Amino acid sequence: MFKNKKTFFRQLGMFLAILGPGIITGSVDNDAGGITTYSVAGAVYGYNLLWTLVPSFIVLIVIQEMNARMGIVTGKGLADLIRENAGVKITFFIFIGLLAADIGNTTTEFAGVAGSMELFGVSKYISVPIVGILVWILVVKGTYQIAERIFLLFSISLLMYVVSAVMGKPHWGEIGHAMVHPQMEMNTKSLAMIIGIIGTTIAPWMQFYMQSSVIEKGLKMKNYKYSLIDIVVGCVATVVVAFFIIVACASTLHVNGVQINEAKDAAMALKPLAGELASQFFAFGLFIASIFSATILPLATAFYVCEAFGFEAGIDKKWDEAKEFYILYTGILILSVIIILIPNAPLIEISLWSQVINGILLPVVLVCMILLVNNKKIMGQYVNKPVNNIIGWGSVIILIALSLLLLILPLFSK
Amino acid sequence: MKSLTTFYLSRVIGKKVYNTNGNFVGTVKDLLVDSAYLSQTSERPLVNGIKIKCNGQFAFYSFQYFKVDKVNGKMKITCDQLVELSPESIENDLHLASVVLDKQIVDLNGRKLVRVNDIRLATIANGTFAVAVDIGIEGLLRRIGIAKPIKRTLSRFHVNIPAKFILWEDVEAIDFSNLNIKLSKSHSKLQTLHPSDLADIMEDLGRKASEEMFLSLDEEKAADVLEELEPDVQIHLIESLSVEKAADILEKMPADEITDILNSLEDEKAELLLNEMEKKTSQEVRELLVYPENSVGSIMATEYMSFSKDITVNEILNELRDKKPEAATLYNLFVTDEKDELIATFSLRDMVVSSPETKVSEIMQPSPIFLRDDEEIDEIAELVSKYNMLAIPVVDNDDILQGVVVIDDVIEDLINKRRTNK
Repeated sequence: MFKNKKTFFRQLGMFLAILGPGIITGSVDNDAGGITTYSVAGAVYGYNLLWTLVPSFIVLIVIQEMNARMGIVTGKGLADLIRENAGVKITFFIFIGLLAADIGNTTTEFAGVAGSMELFGVSKYISVPIVGILVWILVVKGTYQIAERIFLLFSISLLMYVVSAVMGKPHWGEIGHAMVHPQMEMNTKSLAMIIGIIGTTIAPWMQFYMQSSVIEKGLKMKNYKYSLIDIVVGCVATVVVAFFIIVACASTLHVNGVQINEAKDAAMALKPLAGELASQFFAFGLFIASIFSATILPLATAFYVCEAFGFEAGIDKKWDEAKEFYILYTGILILSVIIILIPNAPLIEISLWSQVINGILLPVVLVCMILLVNNKKIMGQYVNKPVNNIIGWGSVIILIALSLLLLILPLFSK
Repeated sequence: MKSLTTFYLSRVIGKKVYNTNGNFVGTVKDLLVDSAYLSQTSERPLVNGIKIKCNGQFAFYSFQYFKVDKVNGKMKITCDQLVELSPESIENDLHLASVVLDKQIVDLNGRKLVRVNDIRLATIANGTFAVAVDIGIEGLLRRIGIAKPIKRTLSRFHVNIPAKFILWEDVEAIDFSNLNIKLSKSHSKLQTLHPSDLADIMEDLGRKASEEMFLSLDEEKAADVLEELEPDVQIHLIESLSVEKAADILEKMPADEITDILNSLEDEKAELLLNEMEKKTSQEVRELLVYPENSVGSIMATEYMSFSKDITVNEILNELRDKKPEAATLYNLFVTDEKDELIATFSLRDMVVSSPETKVSEIMQPSPIFLRDDEEIDEIAELVSKYNMLAIPVVDNDDILQGVVVIDDVIEDLINKRRTNK
């Protein structure tokens, strides 16, 4: 009995040793907000917006590679580097934005918990507080062992979207056509959708998370090749899951003209079209993804804020040693839970607004990153190659242009 | 005599400077602190120069003729005379705003890394000095420019924003990794910290800064710190050093620790280091390197002391005084026969309470608990706990004493296991 347990853990250890920062970051990426965005995109636009995943994929790889390189060369977190090089004011505004967006994002995660559990007949007044408390205990009192098991469950749950998608009998010919022939309607709604897809695939807080995990792993420049493979695999995982969520919703909901607002609507609407099982798979995937991100997001946010402002941080520290850290972490969690529990809370607006803040913050964080990674004093011989800069600056410009377009378009359509 | 004026760095940066006639001189960009203080570690740093921007041009002047006053709560900076600062001062002095603000420093009393939010300065009769580093929330708010309104609002609710200062004397190892300033002298205070504290600090520092800090330590201290570091930081530091330097530092460590590090290095690099080390040390390490990773042999220390059962306590004490072994070696002393086979153990306590003429055979404990060098290490902790041992002897299959497993290494192994299994 004992021996079996030991081999199980050894295998688990091996598995987790192979899993790198890139893969984990890629998985956290598909959270409740992501699933919602992809579902709505699929339901409203069918296969038409699938092409956006291709440029997102390229930009994601380029950006995460920069994070990994910066982490490896400097051994410092992104928050540290921004504070040291851009000064306290810029850091302050970035982190106020990050904090606001992440409270919104965490709220979205709990909305995912509430929605998915309601499909299984559990009221949000029961599911959300319980999950909130469990998450808090897991982080503050728990061990990695439990967290890892949840993570395993999570990875498997992502495969459920593939199953859901296949059960919806998608039209592969049309999918292929949509991927190679980009289409874009020039109106506020479709533009917001495109920004949403990019924004949820490349979230600002993930850049901080990615760089910290690289440092945590103690990676070196000579392992750079493996890091790159890890990043590519992570990005593929992110995009493939996104692809199947869009396909699942497009091939059932869009074809039948079903309109949805939330990820849970998608799960519900799948039932008559793709079967009970597909619907439950979809809901369960949403549930696990929400819990997973609800665990990591507030924790990561509290960590970067403390890192930037020089407070003690870390779950291995006692409450008195790292007061700011625990107050922030607990505060974000409690606030998000309370917002969800307010009757008739405008959850869709909250998740929309947190995506908008994400969208505004992303270019700012990217500009900081590109400036840092091109700084010879910091990066030495490992500064950006021209290709990285072209793609990096290109994405920043396109992101800003899209956002501006989104602001201007309503003025003309009236 | 001039009265004492204290002010914050953040409140003078960006201020306009006027001369005594009320003419505009420029805007303050930075204050420079005399580099000489670095060699006289007890002294507070004197503000030596000021960086001014005028008509888009930067200029450096001696701070001697500048005066900072508080008028109705507002800062006012005036200057009598513009004396240009020598180029070597500009190059060697410490630029407070650009080099110290926002960077990490070591708080020697708290033994941890903190981030500089602001710097408190004081003007007394013989000059202006940097007095303390502000690491509190108030300093943060002041930098952002919202300290006063927030303080005013909060005071209505009788809430205070905590201010937190570290005196300049207790500040050390400012992270200058992005600048090419030699600061080895100022690192000297670091030597007073415990190796474990230093190790914690270095693990939190970025790569370049931790390398610099490590290089500034003397070899003994460096070896002690290296022993306390996480494996990945150990490897990183060893790889950043020249082979000669790395070998010198490694030699100061116990053979089993060296073995652990060499095991994680590439074979080629490990071989280079072994060749560079003294023959005796490298021989011991090579013997340990043969042991598989999870075996008792891989974590045993080869430094131990063994005696024949016929000598007296006095002779042993003389030998100990002569050889001055490390504390861990004295956890347990061993009795061996002429073939080096382990026959008994005795403790320092048994020896100290005995009269000098007592023979070892009278105080020794025969049939000792021991481990085989090829055993797996999994059960050591239970053995240590069961028999209340600080050190367990290790013998090979011919019962020849090979080394000793010390409780520190057992605990370290347990902690590592818990970490990876979690």
